[in-house]
Parts: sequence; C-alpha cells; structure tokens
Amino acid sequence: MKRLALTLSLALASSLCAQVTDKQLELSPDSDWLHYNGGYSSQRHSGLDQIRLSNVGSLVSKWVYHVPGGGGLQSVPIVVDGVMYITQPNEIYALDGRSGRLIWQYHHILAKAPDREGPNRGVAVFEDKVYFTTTDSFLIALNTASGNVLWQSKIAEASEGYHSSAAPLVAKGKVMVGVIYGDRGLNGFLVAFDARTGERLWQFDSIPKPGEPGSESWVGDSWKHAGGATWLTGSYDPELNLLYWAIGNPSPDFNGDVREGDNLYTDSMVALGLNTGKMKWHFQFTPHDVMDWDGAEIPVLVDAPFDGKMRKLLVQADRNGFYYVLDRETGQFLHGSKLARQVNWATGLTAQGRPILVPGIEPSLKGTKVCPSSTGATNWMSPTYNPQTGLFYFVALEGCGLATKNTEKFRPGGFQYRAGGDVLLKDDTWKVYVRALELTTGKQVWEQERVGSGSLGGGLLSTAGGVIFSGELNGEFVALNAKTGQPVWHFNTGQPINSQPMTYMVDGKQYVGLTANSDVFGFALFEPEKALAK
Amino acid sequence: MLRSIGISLLLAGANCIAPAQAASPNNPLGTGPEAVAAGHVIFNRTCTACHGTDGAEGERAPALVGDRRFFRLSENAIFDTIKNGILGTAMPALGLPDDDIWRIVVFIRAMRASASDVDVPGDAEHGAAVFSGKGGCLKCHMLLGQGGIIGPDLSNIGAQMTLQHLRESLTQARPIPIGYRPVKVVTRSGETVEGIAKNEDGFSIQILDFHDKLHLYDKSELRQIVHGTTSLMPRNYDQALTPGEYQDLAAMLGHQVTVKLHVKDQGEGEVGR
Ligand code: HEC
Ligand code: HEC
Repeated sequence: MKRLALTLSLALASSLCAQVTDKQLELSPDSDWLHYNGGYSSQRHSGLDQIRLSNVGSLVSKWVYHVPGGGGLQSVPIVVDGVMYITQPNEIYALDGRSGRLIWQYHHILAKAPDREGPNRGVAVFEDKVYFTTTDSFLIALNTASGNVLWQSKIAEASEGYHSSAAPLVAKGKVMVGVIYGDRGLNGFLVAFDARTGERLWQFDSIPKPGEPGSESWVGDSWKHAGGATWLTGSYDPELNLLYWAIGNPSPDFNGDVREGDNLYTDSMVALGLNTGKMKWHFQFTPHDVMDWDGAEIPVLVDAPFDGKMRKLLVQADRNGFYYVLDRETGQFLHGSKLARQVNWATGLTAQGRPILVPGIEPSLKGTKVCPSSTGATNWMSPTYNPQTGLFYFVALEGCGLATKNTEKFRPGGFQYRAGGDVLLKDDTWKVYVRALELTTGKQVWEQERVGSGSLGGGLLSTAGGVIFSGELNGEFVALNAKTGQPVWHFNTGQPINSQPMTYMVDGKQYVGLTANSDVFGFALFEPEKALAK
Repeated sequence: MLRSIGISLLLAGANCIAPAQAASPNNPLGTGPEAVAAGHVIFNRTCTACHGTDGAEGERAPALVGDRRFFRLSENAIFDTIKNGILGTAMPALGLPDDDIWRIVVFIRAMRASASDVDVPGDAEHGAAVFSGKGGCLKCHMLLGQGGIIGPDLSNIGAQMTLQHLRESLTQARPIPIGYRPVKVVTRSGETVEGIAKNEDGFSIQILDFHDKLHLYDKSELRQIVHGTTSLMPRNYDQALTPGEYQDLAAMLGHQVTVKLHVKDQGEGEVGR
C-alpha cells in the first residue's frame, strides 16, 4: 500500500457515507427495511415481488449467522444498503446482508444490570447512526459503518429496575424509546431524544400524576406503582405528525382491588404530538385490566374507506380478544369484534368500544376460568396488512387460563408485582393460528393452524409477491398464500422462532431475513446457473 | 462529519479521566511480589474449576486475565466480587478469609496490568492535545464519539491493553489485526475500491473505504484483490513526536477508560455489584 495515496484519500474523506434520510424513513419498505415494522404505518408489507407465489417453492437458505451466546432472539433485522443490523441484549451486530458475514459488533459493558436478560427487539437507523437500548436503560448511538459509539443517554434508572428492550423509532430527528417492566410496579413512559446529540427532549408518562387528567381513574396512592410499560415500538403518521404508542398493563397485574377505577392510560392506545409528546387522544381497550392483557400490540395505520368515506384508520388486534378499528385523527371508535372463539369475559363492546363485562369472570382466590388466558388471544408478534388483498393478518391463540389473585405487595428495586397469575389450560382447544380478517369489518376470511406450536411464536410479513411469511415456535418458517392461507413453502430452522421476518433487496436480489433462537437466516431464490458454474 | 474537533472538547474529555484506579484504603497487604505469588497459589487452588488455570478462561466462567474487556477494574470491585459472589450468576461467594481475597485481588491485577492499572507517567492533558493535534490520531481513531473510523475506537484503550502493548502499538510493527487489513479491489466493471477488510472469506469480502462507506462483494464480482502488508497505523511515533509528547500521549491513552465514565453516568461510585 502506498502511504501517500492513503493520506490523500483520508484528506478527501467527507460525508459520502450511507445516510438514511427523513424522506427514506417515510417510504414503505422496498429494498431497505428501515423500521422494526417496516415503515411508519407498521403494515409490514413490502413492495418487493421477486419472490412470489409462482416461485416461492424454490426459496433456499443462502446463509446463517450464529449469534455468539445467542438464545431466544427477538431482534427484527434492519437493512440499509445491504448492511443488516441485529441485536441480542447489550450487543449489536452488523452483517453483510448478502453473505451473513460479520462486519462489526459492539458489546455494551454493564456495571450492574444482568447482561443477557432479554429480549432485545432490534435497532433504529437515521443518517449515519444506528440506535439500540440496553438492559441498564441506556440509548446508544453508534456509527453505522464501524460500530463506534457516538453517544449514550440514560433513559431511566436501572437501579429502580427499569430496562429497555423495544426497538427505538426515529422520526424527524427524534428517537423515541420506551421502558419495561409493567409487571414490577414500575410506571412506564416514553422518551424522545435528539437523534443527533442524544439530548433528552420530552417524556410522556403512561400514568397521570394526581391532579392531571386521567388521575381520577386511580384510587389513593395506587398510581405510584401502576405499570403502563411502553414495551413495543409504536407507529407514526408524518402528515398528522402524531405518534401512536400502545401502553402496557396496570400493576399489580391480577389483583385490581388495590387500584379501583379504569387505570388510565394502561391498556390504551395514545396519540402523541411528535414535537412535544403531548397527548392528543387516547382509547382504552381494557379498562381496569386484571388479566395482564396489556394493549401493547402494534398499531397498524391504514387509509381506507369506512362507511363509504376515506378515513385515516388505526387497527389493532388486542391481547384481550377483540379487534379494533379507530379513526386515528380523533381516536373515535369505529368498529370492534371478537378475533378469537374463546372470549368469555365480555359479551361484546358498546358503541363507544367499552367491553360489556360478564360478571365474575376475573381472577379469584380459588381460581376462575378466563378466556383468553393472560398470554392473550394475540400478543407482541407483529401483524401485517396487505393493501392488495385488503386483509389484516395476525397470530391468534385460542386458549384459557385458570386465574387466581393474591395480595402481593410492591417492593422497590424491580421485583415482580403481579399479585396472582393463571395456569394455562393447555387442553385440546389450545391452538395457535394465523388468521386473515377483513380490514374494516374484522370478519375472518381464513385461518391456518400452526400445528404443533404450544405458544404463539413469531409475527408476520406480507409482500407484493402475494405471500405471507410466518415463523412458528416449532421452528418451521412458512410461506402462506395471502389470499387463501394455504402453505406454499416451508423450511425447518431447527429452533424456536420468536421473531418477525422482514425482506430486503441487494444488487437486484430479494432476500427474506429472520432471527430464530440463536441464529440469523437469509433466504433467497435458488439460482441454478450459479449453482452449476465453476 | 465529525472530522474537525476543538481542543476544548478533548480537554473536557481529559477532565472526565479519573485517577487510574481508586486506591483501596482497605488492602492491608500492598501489591508486592510476595502478595502476587501467594494470590497466584490460592487462585489456582480455588478458582480454576470455573476460570481456568491462571484465570485464562474456563468452560463455565469468563477469563479474568488476557485479551478481553473487563467489567470490574478496581481493587475494591474485584474484592467485593470474590467476597460476595455475583448475584444471579454462577459466581459464588467462596467464604475465603479477607487476607486471602486481597492476595487474589493483587494477583489478578498484576496479571492484567492494563495500562489503566499502572501509573503511566506524563501529562495526560497535554497528551490529549497531541492526540488531536500533532499526532493526527483523530483522523483515524474515535475518542468518546468524535473522530475517524478506519482505526479502532480508543475510548477504552487504557482498560484493554497493557502499557507495553500500548507503547508497541505506537512504535513497532505488529501483526495486522483481523478487521483492519488494508485492501484494494477492482470490480469486473472496473471500479477500484480501497480501504480495510472488515471481514473476508474465500467467497466474499466486506470493505470499509476511506470515505466511511461499506462495500460488500461476492468475490465472483471482483477482478482483482490486493492485500496490503503494512498496517495503516503509523508505527514511528517515538520519532515523529518529541520524547515529552510521546510520554504525555502514552499517559493520556493509559488513562483512557470509558467503563468508569459509564458508571459515573449511572450515578454509582464504582464498578461492582
Ligand atoms: C462455580 C464457578 C465459579 C467459581 C468457583 C469462581 N467463579 Fe468467578 N465467576 C464465575 C462466573 C460464571 C462469572 C461471571 C458472572 C457474570 O456473568 O457476571 C464470574 C465472575 C468473576 C469475576 C468478575 C469478572 C469481571 O470482569 O466482571 C471475578 C473477579 C471472579 N469471578 C473471581 C473469582 C475468583 C477469584 C474465584 C476463586 C476465589 C472465582 N471467581 C471462583 C464463576 C465462578
Ligand atoms: C492513518 C490512520 C491512523 C492514524 C493517523 C493513527 N492510527 Fe492508530 N491505528 C490505525 C489502524 C488502522 C489501526 C488498527 C490496525 C493495527 O493495529 O495495525 C490502529 C491501531 C492503533 C492502536 C491499537 C489499538 C488496538 O485496539 O489494537 C493504538 C493504541 C493506536 N492505533 C493509537 C494511535 C495513536 C495514539 C495515534 C496518533 C498518535 C494513531 N493511532 C494514529 C490507524 C491510524
């Protein structure tokens, strides 16, 4: 190497490096996959169609990357210009999206918090930075090309038990990050940081303080250890400049006697102004939840006709067993219907969307059968919406639990504060399905069982190729016909899948990416010419 | 980009630098060779089942010495770990007498002897000025979020290397570490790309060029691959700098530890359980 030439090149170095712009972040996913749920709308529908119904049968695994010490991975890969970013707790990796080879990795050194306490759900990207959060509640910004740490900002006090695991969301120069644990009596909040400097800009508190609107929904001091974690990534509407974040369950989870009232804003969808974090509206799915059915499931934003009029909709398949259609400008409830057969705690929803309760179906000292179980009729596994079929797809669990409550007390420092629980009744009605619903009516169009899966597994991806990708807990990675639900391809990864697939394109070739337990997979179409060459 | 950097920033960085390690008020035995030798014996009698002989890594626990980033640096933090174990992990409280624990602590620190553990003489603040100024290090290295990316991030270098290794890095030819090998490739379409190979196998190569851009190639797309044989890291700083500048630079690097900065962020006194 000539030192002279080198010095020259270095002098020339400028900001030519791959930059993710605001405009790119607003696009729906195509070659790059820039958000946890693909785009701001969280539809998880990719415009790529090289892999399609007619050829998906020849999809093959192109590479596997083993994450050292990995297990139970839930990270959704993010891909920028062919570079893939994945995480496990306190660790981030950049991989070559074509070959699965490691480019760099970074391990966040902890002083106190447990290192491998998971999951970590992945990264966000903006300009030349990639962001992730840690088990000791820091937001870290690294250089996308080298993994060098640019800054780190404290999100919450780790010593109080806070921890952050969701993939951040970046919008217009702000990074939004949430916190857990709502099952430990820690009050949740959402924080916005300046994406360039790491400066803390605003905080939205899930639980209103005495005197604030909504505080009347808590009795006495119960608001102090009240939960409301922000444990999944939200969505964003750039036109309305509103963030949509789903808020977790109240604490203690199973005994509501100490917290009479609706317990706002737990189990709610909140719409927040991006600039200030101020709440524009809220909608509560499960007032006074006693089954740990946090409303944290992904808000999916769709513009579609409703009652003959184009509306800006927000739809959500909720853990409590209902599917909701809201107007996302106002929060108005438009439609709700059961998304599972086994829902026994409510007979339906009022015109305002409030559940009509069945008396006595709640945790008790001796145990009550409640359907769905505390696992929920669905959970964090991302749903998808396909604008071509007009269908909303999600992972459903049919099953009930025998729910009990007790009088556990809150202890500071991040200890369980559930005051009960349920025994999952895994009889032969206990089954997992991928279901397709009509967007605005919630009417089921098809369902496909995940045979042999004792629990929910991973979420879904939809592509313009007419295929829904679905990772099952039993290890099967499956492609379904988006119109009919018929399986059209499958691959046994040999390990439980607990994450959602994504897709990207590099040099004209479409890949499907997936993390499964301890490994990352890259799939693409079999190319006979290449296989025969050499 | 973050190429230009004011001296004020570096001075601020230097202000964050704590003394090498908080001296322990409790260690009654000193750090002399007898304590080290005694600690060695007790360590190999008590701890090898998990940490391996001489702490060089076992099946069930991390290496306590050798080539890794350490979480616990100070005498007190290591003492606390051995005395009380690490809650929620396989690291037990072994019930040794305090004096024996201190001997082990002294042994572990002597084995590690990362630059931050020893008192590197020199003016670290002036060293920071050399780093960003005459030394030109920021062109290639990042320090606390500022600087170039073609070389390794040096923010925690004092905890990662022995003083000897540090000095050799600045003055002597060393094998080029994986991930930093200079490379130049010509693609089939005639484009030339120069940089370092972050990774390479028989079929693909991942290059970081001098404009901070990554290039990912399948080798079938390349017409030519030329590997550089000398590191991009200049190895003549004992000559390019005055003896004073060189010494101050070494002192600055030796003190450069971020684990402690992180702990300070968390509002805690010291690394430890
Ligand atoms: C039963 C297995 C076991 C034995 C015996 C054991 N250790 Fe450990 N030790 C561990 C494990 C596992 C860890 C890592 C814990 C973690 O994940 O933080 C550890 C961590 C440590 C650390 C912290 C390392 C760091 O940088 O954070 C020190 C220091 C340590 N051990 C010293 C000792 C000493 C000295 C002895 C003997 C007196 C000993 N250990 C015996 C299992 C063991
Ligand atoms: C032209 C770019 C360049 C400049 C200028 C440069 N370095 Fe380096 N340095 C590198 C590269 C590349 C490596 C990694 C390859 C190697 O170690 O051979 C490296 C390695 C090192 C290492 C070893 C780090 C490790 O983790 O192994 C140290 C220490 C170091 N440099 C210090 C300095 C200091 C101090 C200066 C300024 C006085 C400096 N470098 C200037 C490119 C540079």
